Amino acid sequence: MTRLNLHKLTKRYRGKTEPALDDLSLEVESGSLTALLGPSGCGKTTTMKLIAGLLEPTLGDILFDGRSILGVAPERRGAVMVFQNYLLFPYMTVAENVGFGLKMRRVDRATIDRRVAEMLELVRLPGLEDRRPKELSGGQQQRVALARALIVLPKLLLLDEPLSNLDAHLRFEMRDLIRDIQRQMGITTVFVTHDQEEAVVLADKVALIFDGRLQQYDAPTAFYETPVTRRIAAFFGGVNFFQGRRNRKQFDCAIGTFSAPRSAIADQPGILSIRPEDVRLAEAGAANSVAGRIHSHVYVGTHTRLRVSVSGGHEVCVVTDAEVMKTHKPGDPVTLRFPEEKLWVLPPDALVEPTAAHREDTRFGVTKTKGCR
Amino acid sequence: MRIALLLGPALVVIAALFLGGVGLGLARSFNYMPIIGLDDPNLDAYAWVLTDEDFLLSFVLTFHIAFTSTVISAVLAIGAALVLRHTFVGKKVITFLFQLNLTIPHIVGAVGILYLFSQSGFFARIAYAAGAIERTSDFPALVFDPYAIGIILQYVWKEVPFIGVIVLAVLQSVGQDYEALAQSLGANRWQRFRYVLLPLIMPGVLSASVIVFAFTFGAFEIPFLLGQNHPVALPVLAYRSYTDVDLAARPEAMAMAMVITVMSGLMIYAYVRLSRRYLRAG
Ligand SMILES: Nc1ncnc2c1ncn2[C@@H]1O[C@H](COP(=O)(O)OP(=O)(O)OP(=O)(O)O)[C@@H](O)[C@H]1O
Ligand SMILES: [Mg+2]
Repeated sequence: MTRLNLHKLTKRYRGKTEPALDDLSLEVESGSLTALLGPSGCGKTTTMKLIAGLLEPTLGDILFDGRSILGVAPERRGAVMVFQNYLLFPYMTVAENVGFGLKMRRVDRATIDRRVAEMLELVRLPGLEDRRPKELSGGQQQRVALARALIVLPKLLLLDEPLSNLDAHLRFEMRDLIRDIQRQMGITTVFVTHDQEEAVVLADKVALIFDGRLQQYDAPTAFYETPVTRRIAAFFGGVNFFQGRRNRKQFDCAIGTFSAPRSAIADQPGILSIRPEDVRLAEAGAANSVAGRIHSHVYVGTHTRLRVSVSGGHEVCVVTDAEVMKTHKPGDPVTLRFPEEKLWVLPPDALVEPTAAHREDTRFGVTKTKGCR
Repeated sequence: MRIALLLGPALVVIAALFLGGVGLGLARSFNYMPIIGLDDPNLDAYAWVLTDEDFLLSFVLTFHIAFTSTVISAVLAIGAALVLRHTFVGKKVITFLFQLNLTIPHIVGAVGILYLFSQSGFFARIAYAAGAIERTSDFPALVFDPYAIGIILQYVWKEVPFIGVIVLAVLQSVGQDYEALAQSLGANRWQRFRYVLLPLIMPGVLSASVIVFAFTFGAFEIPFLLGQNHPVALPVLAYRSYTDVDLAARPEAMAMAMVITVMSGLMIYAYVRLSRRYLRAG
């Protein structure tokens, strides 16, 4: 069990002006499962390679249990990385692949054989010792790669996009497997993903990175309930954003007036946000509500997604019961209630340090329902 | 199917020329040449060739040349690729050398070797002028020598970049990721080379070596130019018999050519099998 600290970590690749990783500080608790989440190119793999020692940081420090390991050679760090494309040695059998780390440590043959069998049992692939990697499915290869990493009992397990090459069905299975094994062995694990759902389901804590900068490091629920910026909220599927300002106990915005949530600062502009699944259908005239008309609806099996046109040409996206499909049609008038405890006010975009990708988002205007489909 | 049709004509021409040539040679080696009245095929030429002491000496020499050149070239190429792979310049250098080598004919290289290394050559003169040797003929015999050093030098010079380019390509594509992975699993520098990089480059090295071996075993001009008078390399021996004034010696020449072909085929097969087994056992 190892506690990991990243201290003001910066990585600048040669010949690049923008750093791939910029002043990243993070504490990963011993025995926990942490997700590095962010869009493609934000620096996730770079972070993993820095931790494993496969890259040198430009600035900053990396500590295992409070001790800097920058001077420790990668092969003696005990931080084992599992690569996105598995990288099973094609010229070795499954057993030789899994036993590789022990062979490098000059463990005797009998012990290696025994441990390999145990590990294959653990990843639920017993009896495949003599296969060649190319005779395995993608999911099986992934598990062999995992077993190969686990067999050396790493201080730190680094999984780079462990699920992204698997189809949906396998992904669920693998997700549970990783979770179970991690719990069982208690190995401090950091895994990379660009899928917020994956991060939320698997991780104890999520580190969200945009453009090489840490945006928010929190428990998964916080990204839904208390995101720090509009961009973070949007990354987690938030689509209802309305610019406005707090006036005493009220929050006034383009689509109406609501009771001000605690997150709204007095007399300050802000962005009112509510998650689509928190909006309720209500009787006309209910408190904290707006009137609108159903623009379109989409049935998604377990629920229905509505796009509701409200005053000022704005739109509110609502996720509601699947049943609503049967009772409501496009064009029907509806009343939407915003429960007070679900309202959350974000700082105006202008106050948030603008980045290239951020500017990209805001071009569409704050009320565009990008994710409401 | 389309491809087969498109390639068809070319393949037919190549096959006809190749098989035709081999066929004629075979017929000749069996002493079968109806035009001059030899219409009773026999194995005399083979019997003669395989019991001839000159032939066996030549065979040993040729094997030595081909084997030594191939092994030295492969080892040097792997070493060079390992050193150069991390540097951007390295790749350029080796590619340049490779291209340069491709365009310089073996003959020119051979003349260069003569000029530099022979007992009347550049280095011998320098050594003499520097007083290191008393006569230029005291300079170690590197050309026309019994160990075929001159010939091997020439082949190594030519083949190192050839194998090097292939090895470098593998090292710079998949090699880096696999090496990083192995390192994170605890492999030290030697182990990463032995258990990761070497097996990864081996298929490339093997196929390149096979080409080099086959070429050096069957090539004529370099041993002809840089070799000693006796024994000579097999291709030179075959050539001499072929140009022999006695037309009757030609079946021997053809039999020799056939034996060379079969032997190099067998040796390549054995080489590939052995290396594969060695790799797997590691
Ligand atoms: N070896 C390198 N040399 C130069 N730039 C690099 C190198 N590796 C990565 N980068 C750059 O650094 C940035 C971060 O790359 P990184 O691979 O860490 O992203 P990532 O978050 O893992 O992305 P993905 O989700 O696509 O894997 C990118 O802009 C990338 O182009
Ligand atoms: Mg990546």
